[in-house]
Amino acid sequence: MPSAFQFQCHFILIFLAASKGETRYLEVRDAVEDEPFLLLSEDLKRELSAGQIYRRSLRCIDMLSIEGQFTFTADQPQLHCATFFIGEPEDLITIDYDFVNIDCQGGDFLKVFDGWILKGEKFPSSLDHPLPTSQRYVDFCDSGNIQRSISSSQNVAMIFFRIHQPGNGFTVTVKKNANLFPCNVISQTPSGRFTMVSPHQHRNCSFSIIYPVVIKISDLILGHLNGLLLKKPSVGCAGVGDFVELLGGNGLDPSKMFPLADLCHSFHGVS
Amino acid sequence: MKIPLLVSTGILLVALLPCQECRALSKSPIAPHGALHQPDFFQQQQQQQTLPVLLRMGEEYFLRLGNLNKRPVGSFSASSSSTSHLQPEASASNFFREAVQELQQLPERSLGSPEEGEGEGEAVEREKRSEEPPISLDLTFHLLREVLEMARAEQLAQQAHSNRKLMEIIGK
Repeated sequence: MPSAFQFQCHFILIFLAASKGETRYLEVRDAVEDEPFLLLSEDLKRELSAGQIYRRSLRCIDMLSIEGQFTFTADQPQLHCATFFIGEPEDLITIDYDFVNIDCQGGDFLKVFDGWILKGEKFPSSLDHPLPTSQRYVDFCDSGNIQRSISSSQNVAMIFFRIHQPGNGFTVTVKKNANLFPCNVISQTPSGRFTMVSPHQHRNCSFSIIYPVVIKISDLILGHLNGLLLKKPSVGCAGVGDFVELLGGNGLDPSKMFPLADLCHSFHGVS
Repeated sequence: MKIPLLVSTGILLVALLPCQECRALSKSPIAPHGALHQPDFFQQQQQQQTLPVLLRMGEEYFLRLGNLNKRPVGSFSASSSSTSHLQPEASASNFFREAVQELQQLPERSLGSPEEGEGEGEAVEREKRSEEPPISLDLTFHLLREVLEMARAEQLAQQAHSNRKLMEIIGK
């Protein structure tokens, strides 16, 4: 029976996808937990979303964690301003230029940075980010006509701007998109629980909490290769492929923090 | 197999890193010559006080909040967005007063506004020549956490408003 055979093929494909961890999309899109609006009818959704874009004006130093349209208008020369964007760990930030009125020739600038940079320290660090530092800045004055929509590689981003002429300014729309496998995350809260999954990718990832915290790691799984556990090394983490390192410090850059503990053996339960 | 790969990668990193530091070292003698004409954000005093940091970090400059003796931007107090559902918080103005006070306690930087005009022209040219030196904000973690808490409060208020709208619609 062709239909039964098709059903079996579909079942096998779904099972293989689930075993490879590629069904995380379903976790992210859980309508009941995160998006109750998806349960509404189209008419209700239309009524609810009509005119629902959140808008407000930006301050010189500001932080945004919600979507919306944000406008900055200088009432005096503002030379050192920045806006931080942060989302949930599973979010990516997208910034769209709706309107920009700055004098690039007069020394104004508007730059988007992929990550956060504070006192010269970057998150993610240069070791963890796929792009070199220079390419993590997108300058409107250089590429504004070409690139009007910029997406981050993780749940944080920021913009720097300088405006000399009062009355000049800009408007941006901030949106969040789903990141199926977050790799570099800054936690919004000093408490919570997060599971980092990194399947089939050889990369360095980091999870940052910018508060004094107590960290408990449970259920660490390292070194899975086609369903088989790699042989556990006998001594230390030196020479091991995968590991988890706990770092501490008073800066933003993980590569400049000091190590507190190394974990390179899989375990279950609380460490 | 992995060990030789790691060793070769480490050798490549060691071979490449000194070049960046060399570039920083070769630029730092040049920087003081133009420092007198450079605007605040090139951090002339910053370089003098924290030169080892700059050498280690390469071509990185620090933006500081300027005009600290002036009133900060009052855009939040005059927010007139018709679709904004959050009232301008008094806490926001308090936060900015604290932020300005905290930054005023930091070593003062010469803003040199008369020199800024010509200095910025040089700065723009210098930036183009030096492939866009990284710009960062010199903000303390305390202030960062403060703005983060404000952002979270805003998010919760917006979520509460959305829930209220949803209940109103469902109740119809």
